[in-house]
Amino acid sequence: MNCTHRTTPTVTFSLSSSHPKPKTLIRLFPTQIPAKNPRLYLSVKKISFVIRASLHDSNKNNNQVGNWVSRLPTGAFAADNVFRLISTSTASPIYQFIASPSTFLHSVDPRIKLIWLLVLVVLPARSHIVMRVGLVLYTTLLSIWILPKHVWTDQLGRVFLLSGILFIMLGLGSDGVPSLVQLRTPPPAISGLPNLPVSLGGYSYSIMKIGPLQFTRKGLSVASTAACLTFTLFQSASLCLATTTPEQLAFALRWFMLPLTYIGVPVAEIVLTLLLSLRFINLVFDEVRNVALGIVSRRINWKQLTMLETIDIFASYIRRIFKNIFSHAEQISQAMIVRGFRGDSNTHKIYSLSDSSVGIADFVSLLCLVTIVGAALLSDRFL
Amino acid sequence: MNLSSLVRPSTLSLLPPLHSTLPSRIDVTENNAAAIECSNLNYSITTRLHQSVPILKDCSLSVPSGQLWMLLGPNGCGKSTLLKILAGLLKPTNGTVYVKRPKSYVFQNPDHQVVMPTVEADVAFGLGKLNLPRDKVKTRVSKALDAVGMSKYLQRPVQTLSGGQKQRIAIAGALAEACKVLLLDELTTFLDESDQLGVIKAVKSSLSNSGEVTALWVTHRLEELEYADGAFYMEHGKIVLHGDGASIMDFIRTQQSSYTNQINS
Repeated sequence: MNCTHRTTPTVTFSLSSSHPKPKTLIRLFPTQIPAKNPRLYLSVKKISFVIRASLHDSNKNNNQVGNWVSRLPTGAFAADNVFRLISTSTASPIYQFIASPSTFLHSVDPRIKLIWLLVLVVLPARSHIVMRVGLVLYTTLLSIWILPKHVWTDQLGRVFLLSGILFIMLGLGSDGVPSLVQLRTPPPAISGLPNLPVSLGGYSYSIMKIGPLQFTRKGLSVASTAACLTFTLFQSASLCLATTTPEQLAFALRWFMLPLTYIGVPVAEIVLTLLLSLRFINLVFDEVRNVALGIVSRRINWKQLTMLETIDIFASYIRRIFKNIFSHAEQISQAMIVRGFRGDSNTHKIYSLSDSSVGIADFVSLLCLVTIVGAALLSDRFL
Repeated sequence: MNLSSLVRPSTLSLLPPLHSTLPSRIDVTENNAAAIECSNLNYSITTRLHQSVPILKDCSLSVPSGQLWMLLGPNGCGKSTLLKILAGLLKPTNGTVYVKRPKSYVFQNPDHQVVMPTVEADVAFGLGKLNLPRDKVKTRVSKALDAVGMSKYLQRPVQTLSGGQKQRIAIAGALAEACKVLLLDELTTFLDESDQLGVIKAVKSSLSNSGEVTALWVTHRLEELEYADGAFYMEHGKIVLHGDGASIMDFIRTQQSSYTNQINS
C-alpha cells in the first residue's frame, strides 16, 4: 500500500500546580519551545498519565434512579447476546460417530448393540441396588476403555453431575418431606396403640437425617434407580452412537422391524426417512447458526430499537430459517431424483458397506450380555 | 477472483466478434457423435403478474462424445438453468434436447448433493437403483473415492467435512455411477487451488479411462479452460460463442481489458 504519512512525537510536560492547565495532549513543535528557557526543552521527560472517569451526580440525594438503572445487567440478556450465542454454537450437537481409533466395539454387530441398549434400560429399573451400581461401574469402565480421553472425561463428567443431582434430589425429596407434612397413619397417641419396638437386628427405615429432610430406604431405592437409569441410558447410548455409523443403526432397526412389513408397515420408507433426517438435521443446525451469524455481522444497534422492532427481527430470523430449510429440502429432493431415486424406498437399495460378518467380538459381547442378565436375575432372587 | 464478473454485456458490442452467432455444429460433430445436444432451446418463467420472462433464448449446443467441454458466462446468463434442463430437472418451453444416458448431475452446493450421513453410504446412494452385488458396490465406491483423494474418509460423518471435502464426495458419487454424461455445475467454487486441480484431473482421468464419458462443466474460472477440449460462452440466455479453450479465454480477456480501459478512461 502506498500512503504518505508523518509521525509526530507526542510528549507531555510536568507542569507546575500553581498554573492549572487543561489536561490535553500537548503537541510539541519547535515554535512552541520557550526561547527564554531552552533548558525546559532539554529537561522534557516522558510522563504517563492515568485517566480516570467517574460519574458525578450533582444531586445525589434526590436523583438515585439514574445510577441504579445504569447498573442493571441489561447487556447479558440483550438480543445481540442471543444471536451471538447461537452463531458460536456447535454445528452438530446431537450425533458424532468416532471412526478412529477403531475399537472392538466398532466391530460388534449393531443388532447386538441395540439389544445391549434395551437391556441397559430395563436392568437398572428391575434389579438389586448392587447390580445397579455394578452396571454404572461397567459402563464407566467401558467408556474409559473405548472412547478417546478428551471425549470420556467430558461425557462422564456431565452425566455423573446430572445423575448426582438426581440422586440427591430424589433421595431427600421422595420420602422425607411428604411424610413430615402428611402422615398416612394416625400417630400412636390418637390410636392408643404402643409405639413400635426398635428392631433388634439394627434395621432402621430412616438412614440419615439432614435437618427437616431425611434419607430413607425408599428414598435410596428411588434415587439409585433414577440416577443409575439416567447414567446407563445416556452413557450407553453415547457409546453406541460413537461406535456405530447411522447406516449400521438404521439397518439394525430395519432387521428388527422386518416382521412388521407383514402387517403393512413401510419399514424401508421409515429407514430411509431416518437416514435422511440424520443428514438433514445437521443442515438445519448449520442454517440456524449461519442466519444468526448474518444478523450479528450487521452490527445492529439493539439499544436504539424498540421492543416491537426487536421482535420483528426475531420473526424475520425465524422466517428466513424456514425459507432456507425448505429451499434445502427442495434441492435435496432434486439431487435424489438426479441420483436415481424414483420415490420407492423398496426398489432403491441403501448400502451399508461396513463388514457385517459375525466375529469373535459378537460372541464375546453376547456372552457378557447373558452373564449380566443372569447375574441380575440371581441378585433379584438372593440379595 | 471471479474474472468473468468483470465482463459486462455492454462491452460485447464494442469488440469484433470471433463468431457472431453459434456456427453450425457440423465442425464439432464431424468425427464424433454428440453425447449432449440441444437446438433452439427456449425456457421462460411466468411471474405472478402473468408476464413471461425469457431465461434461455434459442440455445443450441453440441458436445462430442468422450470430451470435456466447459460453459462460461456472466452471473445470471442462464448457465445453471441450461444445465438443469439437460439433466432433466427443468422442462424447456420449446426446443429439442438429447443427452446420452445414464447421466449424472453435480450441484454447485455440495450440501444439496450429499444426502446420506456417512461418506461411503452417500457415494453408494446413486448405485441403489442398479441393484448391484455388495462387493461390486464396494469396489466402485473405493475407486471413486480414490479418484478424488478421499479414500481415508470412508466412514466419516458428512457434517465433519469441510466444504471442499463435501464437494469431492459429491463428485465421487457421480463418478461411482459410471455415467456416460457428467453435468457439473461450478464444481470448484468451494475448493482451493490444489483441490481444484485434483478434481479437474479426477474428471479428466475418468473421461480418458472410459473413453465414452462426456462432461459439460459450468465454471467461472478461466484457468480451468486449459483442461477443456472446447468451451461455450453464454450471455443474456444465448450461447454467443463456442470454440476451443484458448479462443474463449482470449475472447474473455479481451472483454476484460476493454472493460478495464473503459473504467480507467
